[in-house]
Amino acid sequence: MRTETERRTEAGARQATVVARRLRKSYGGFQAVKGVDFEVYRGECFGFLGPNGAGKTTTMKMIYGAAIPTGGELTVAGLDVKSREREVKRRIGVVPQENNLDEDLKVRENLLVYARYYDLPRKIALRRADELLEFVELSEKADAEVQHLSGGMKRRLLIARALINDPEIVVLDEPTTGLDPQARHLVWERLRKLASEGKTLVLTTHYMEEAAQLCDRLVIMEGGEIASAGTPRGMIEEHVSPEVLELRPDPGSLERLLDVLEAEAEAVERAGEALLAYTSDASNLMQRVRDSGIEFENAVHRRAGLEDVFLRLTGRQLID
Amino acid sequence: MGAWRVPSPRGTFRVWQRNATIFRKYWKTLLLPNFFEPLLYLAALGLGLGTFIQRGGIEGQSYVQFIAPGLLASNAMFAASFESTFNTFVKLKIQRTYDAIVSTPINAEDVVAGEYLWAGTRAALYGTGFLAVLAILGAAFGEPLVRSFWALLIPPMLLLIGVMFSVTGTLFTSLIDRIDLYSYYFTLVVTPLFLFSGIFFPVQDFPAPVPQIAWLTPLYHAVNVCRELATGPSPGVLADVAWVLVFTAALALFPIRFMRRRLIS
Repeated sequence: MRTETERRTEAGARQATVVARRLRKSYGGFQAVKGVDFEVYRGECFGFLGPNGAGKTTTMKMIYGAAIPTGGELTVAGLDVKSREREVKRRIGVVPQENNLDEDLKVRENLLVYARYYDLPRKIALRRADELLEFVELSEKADAEVQHLSGGMKRRLLIARALINDPEIVVLDEPTTGLDPQARHLVWERLRKLASEGKTLVLTTHYMEEAAQLCDRLVIMEGGEIASAGTPRGMIEEHVSPEVLELRPDPGSLERLLDVLEAEAEAVERAGEALLAYTSDASNLMQRVRDSGIEFENAVHRRAGLEDVFLRLTGRQLID
Repeated sequence: MGAWRVPSPRGTFRVWQRNATIFRKYWKTLLLPNFFEPLLYLAALGLGLGTFIQRGGIEGQSYVQFIAPGLLASNAMFAASFESTFNTFVKLKIQRTYDAIVSTPINAEDVVAGEYLWAGTRAALYGTGFLAVLAILGAAFGEPLVRSFWALLIPPMLLLIGVMFSVTGTLFTSLIDRIDLYSYYFTLVVTPLFLFSGIFFPVQDFPAPVPQIAWLTPLYHAVNVCRELATGPSPGVLADVAWVLVFTAALALFPIRFMRRRLIS
């Protein structure tokens, strides 16, 4: 088990374990991934953020062999995914977006049968299955039918299953989508534990909070391209001002308030009935708004987050 | 796109083993219907209809004796067909079991080959039980239904027949995306084969082109082999075995190619 500092140092040594160069994937005429470059370093947690259809899942599928790149290069653990697919798959663990647990098998049996796909000897498989059930807090459910598990339990079992071969890299496609807050926090906590043990994690998410909580570095994807890359903090600093004032004026005075904010704030965005003003001095801006005498229902003052970066880069329109 | 993929024996075995594990848990409930169905046919047609055509018999045998070995072959066809259609579809599209398997060192081609082998195994298991019942019933009623020690070769033959019908069933599965389309496969392929492959009446006595058409279809040869093994084979049976082998080998790689395309984009 490694300490946080050691993990950071390793990432600092920058040994890339997943490397994409001009990586492309098209389906018929549709380009899902349009030539992206990224590298994931050993021992870090690397995130792909983006709206639906941004190309995140396709990129993940290329990493674990469920999609074959149309062009460019992709190596995982130093191995080319096209020519050495079996070896790549042997060294990674996959948590898919959709539950595909084996419903014909009980909880522990799911892990044991999966272990055979990796040719683990039965003795080792039995030990690892019990350790992993404990790790994801499912020991009491070992002999339960999979279909009787809750959504959060199924996701944890998927995580345990992805770890049965003790992979160097764990690939997680939206690991907490559809989970309630308690279940989500438990998954986060387990993933942090994995990261602290030195596993490389590659995950997709569209929860900004998740990315901020877990990822050492991340990229924001949109329309098959990488819109931005960096650390969560670095991206906030680069793309938005540190503080945000959210105001909800009367519809009648919205335009007037917009004028005031545009004059005073560093950036203003309109989201439906609300105005978001980005600034480095929110109390000063608030005073200016009060001085203007324009009425508003409520004001929220908060620190800028990854969500603001995300919306800035990918727009506020609904993406289907 | 892509080369023709050849399955790895290790991966094939692992997929077969997964199915065997599940079968071991549920074999009693799984085995029963497949077991009763041919018995019902035997009772209704052999004993019911048989009494009306008993006098002359067919090819020197009573009617029950004539149809029993053919039912062994059709039983293998049905077992493998259900396995490679509905069961495979559920694992492909509904439970997404194959997606989970192909993200391990097992490849799509291994999945399909493992399913072929499993369908054959299941056909052989069912058929062996059925063969035992035939032997016992025949002895009990003083009208032997299995009359040769060559019948010991029937179970391995049923395995081969099962693999053959798994290949055709998987081919259909690899081409459809709605489960209700299987009614076409069963109505237009499986049922006609069942009725016109020489199980219930000898087709070679019909005028041309009926025997020629029968020769082109898979169950006809499977029935011939089972009947010959049950009564004591002639050298001509080797031609039927060869037909089954060639047909199976010639088709086997197509579903592999198509299923791979469904699993890996």
